[in-house]
Amino acid sequence: MPGVFDRLNKEIQDKQQEGGITPLDLAGLPPALRKIMRLMLRELQMAYPGLCEAVDAMPEADRLSRDDLQDALSTLTQQAWLIRIGDGEKAIYKVNLRRKEGSKLAAGIWSSLDEKLKRNPKDE
Amino acid sequence: MNKGKIVSIHSFRGGTGKSNTTANLAAQVAMAGKRVGVVDTDIQSPGIHVLFGLDENKMGKTMNDFLHGKATIREIGFLIGENTGNAEGRSKLAGKDLWLFPSSIRGREISQILKEGVDFNKLNEGLQNTITEFNLDYLFIDTHPGLNEETLLSIATSDILIIILRPDSQDLQGTSVTIDIARSLDVPNLLLMVNKALPKYDAAQIKKDIEAQFNAPVAGVLPLSFDMAENASSDLFSLRFPDHEWSKGLRGVAKAILAVE
Repeated sequence: MPGVFDRLNKEIQDKQQEGGITPLDLAGLPPALRKIMRLMLRELQMAYPGLCEAVDAMPEADRLSRDDLQDALSTLTQQAWLIRIGDGEKAIYKVNLRRKEGSKLAAGIWSSLDEKLKRNPKDE
Repeated sequence: MNKGKIVSIHSFRGGTGKSNTTANLAAQVAMAGKRVGVVDTDIQSPGIHVLFGLDENKMGKTMNDFLHGKATIREIGFLIGENTGNAEGRSKLAGKDLWLFPSSIRGREISQILKEGVDFNKLNEGLQNTITEFNLDYLFIDTHPGLNEETLLSIATSDILIIILRPDSQDLQGTSVTIDIARSLDVPNLLLMVNKALPKYDAAQIKKDIEAQFNAPVAGVLPLSFDMAENASSDLFSLRFPDHEWSKGLRGVAKAILAVE
């Protein structure tokens, strides 16, 4: 029977299928949002108190007020660039990157490449 | 939390010596007593494993297996000093903490990635978990030349970005693009490294000109070297020929990396 961790993990994975941010989008974000996203990229997931602590530890010029942090988190979750599990102080945030699409080359090219490679004994 | 540093090595164009530089820098930092990892994110044309003496027979699980959920990061880490001490330079890494996280060189697995794309959440998780699971001080990322999405992700998550360029007009133009991107991604430490500079030119002048052009520090100007070409990626040049001018220049870049707080 799946435990709490498994259920949360599944919830996160389901939400991660919905959109997400591309690495190029990161460059176009306003500075406050970009700071949060860079932090989240490194930490992978953070609870709200941990985020507050990390923001407080930033150099003074980069520091966000609690209101600015809340606004930033709200914008990022609305866009599905961050996923939020839970609410308020207990909320956990996780970064959501958009999957890189596979090549648009005609499927036939890939299947014939696969066939060719299958015949190569080095690849067996 | 004191996490290890991510050092991305990038060049806008191919042929700059990026993989050679990455492998040698990682080796020098490991020789300084640091715990070091090297990830090959050049999934479509991997190559850095050659410098560490890894071939298809020695290669176990790869980043491709991790991205497809078939292996954990712990299973991929390949301890260089214990496994590939069969070359004079590499043998000096015995007992050092240097791991390679290779990408697959199997054609079918490369084609699978190209066909299916890349789960960036998984890739980023892999990069961050190599640091925590191996307790690394430094994680070097060997990127694909030019700007693709994997490269942008590694730049976005870096503490230090080293851009390698040759003193060549095409490289200079491409480097300015990468610098713009790095600045818009708030990379905290940006270093340039000039490689393959003709020895007849004044290295100090090249450094001065490029620093003025890009408003970024040049950590080293390394000469074009036939000795390096002759090495043909068969060994870690800076460990094998420590007194060579190229190796001295490279150690200067390693020192600049170690100096970043």
